[in-house]
Amino acid sequence: MTAPSPPPIQQQYDALTQTVALIDRSNIGRLSLAGEDALDLLDRLSTNALQDLAVGHGATTVLTSNKGRIVDVLFVLQEADSLFVLTGPGNQETVSSWIDFYTIIEDVTSRDLTGETAILSLAGPDAPTTLGELLPAQTKVPNAHEAVSAVISEVQATVIRTDFIGAPAYDIVVANTDGLQLRNILLEVGAEPAGIDVTEALRVEKGMPAFGKELGESYNPLEAGLMPLISFTKGCYIGQEVVARLNTYDKVQKSLVGLQWDGDSAVESGTRLLLDDKQVGVMTTAAMSPRIAGVIGLGYVRKAYATPESELLLESPGGPTPVRVTPLPFDTD
Amino acid sequence: MTNAKPKPKPLTITITPDAAEHVRSFAAEAGKPGTQLRVAVKGGGCSGLTYVLDLVDEFKKDDKVIEDQGLRLGVDRKSYVFLAGTSLEYYGGLNGKGFVFNNPNAKTTCGCGTSFGV
Repeated sequence: MTAPSPPPIQQQYDALTQTVALIDRSNIGRLSLAGEDALDLLDRLSTNALQDLAVGHGATTVLTSNKGRIVDVLFVLQEADSLFVLTGPGNQETVSSWIDFYTIIEDVTSRDLTGETAILSLAGPDAPTTLGELLPAQTKVPNAHEAVSAVISEVQATVIRTDFIGAPAYDIVVANTDGLQLRNILLEVGAEPAGIDVTEALRVEKGMPAFGKELGESYNPLEAGLMPLISFTKGCYIGQEVVARLNTYDKVQKSLVGLQWDGDSAVESGTRLLLDDKQVGVMTTAAMSPRIAGVIGLGYVRKAYATPESELLLESPGGPTPVRVTPLPFDTD
Repeated sequence: MTNAKPKPKPLTITITPDAAEHVRSFAAEAGKPGTQLRVAVKGGGCSGLTYVLDLVDEFKKDDKVIEDQGLRLGVDRKSYVFLAGTSLEYYGGLNGKGFVFNNPNAKTTCGCGTSFGV
């Protein structure tokens, strides 16, 4: 008797965590910002220090409101004549309008490239080797936060190492019309297609917040665990005063935590977490983890209850479900 | 007796005598006694928008030009909507803030007063 072949989800997960997976990320917004003040303006609108970004280098930064809330988390790449910006899924118009509102005396023009480009990504521990086989011999595989422009089997592409999944990951940006051809090229070199269920599972295991779930105007960057994306020395940006005060006086009210429960992962983002009939948090993402072979999730919980092994109740459709608060990430051995 | 309400003052930008004197003083120190003051707003600062003051030889083509206290002010056209009604003042001394914008459009201001939100 032969062992049954692994289910497709397990196969996808194994590719993503052990070899190399192909992920379609075309739902991510893409903007081009041109004009000599573009980098300076983004530096004044967001949390990270961007002023010294060299051509071919990128950085992740948080666009914040004047209340210190998250508008979006952007990856900003300095290209030769402009900035290339990755926004949250479907959030490019909001970001573009936000930037336009604050463009007053500055020389900045934004253009939405989302419809005219596609993003396919190589992710997993073997992604650097696989990409190296595809790039022309003289082109170096980009390091973290770096990008190269290259022709991959006749397809003109910009390859950015964003590590969006918390593991080596390259976003390959091509013209929309070249998307199918690129997909075939990536499949031919052995990348295994991975879908949303698997990428979400790995994201939750790694404790990475995502726009629309853990990232949005209900939360500030400190609650979301985005401290590495905040410069406390670069000077003013929108929301800086609030973020600095929250940090200095330890006023952060809630924390992003891991959650684990027995049962179903089909629970809507935004479902309340209760303790003694009072709301103490909210579940933001639920996923079925192949690693843990069970349901895990992310959520925000008031700091007093955000301690490991706190027992809360998830107000799930089938009735209150006991939930354990767990430290992040889930995938430490 | 008439019930006619007094006409509202036109929204413009004014400068106090003390602030105007300091502008002239800074211009003289810079060796440009004839220069003019340009006022604008840019995105950024803790509250969203930040004031910009510059001594310039020439205004930009679309600037709104205002004369007050014997000084010519050029106001960036796009910035004007955020500045109409503002009084530019000056607070000196050891703890003074220097030039201060008393801006009726500002719904919020940051702690140091250099940026505002609308």
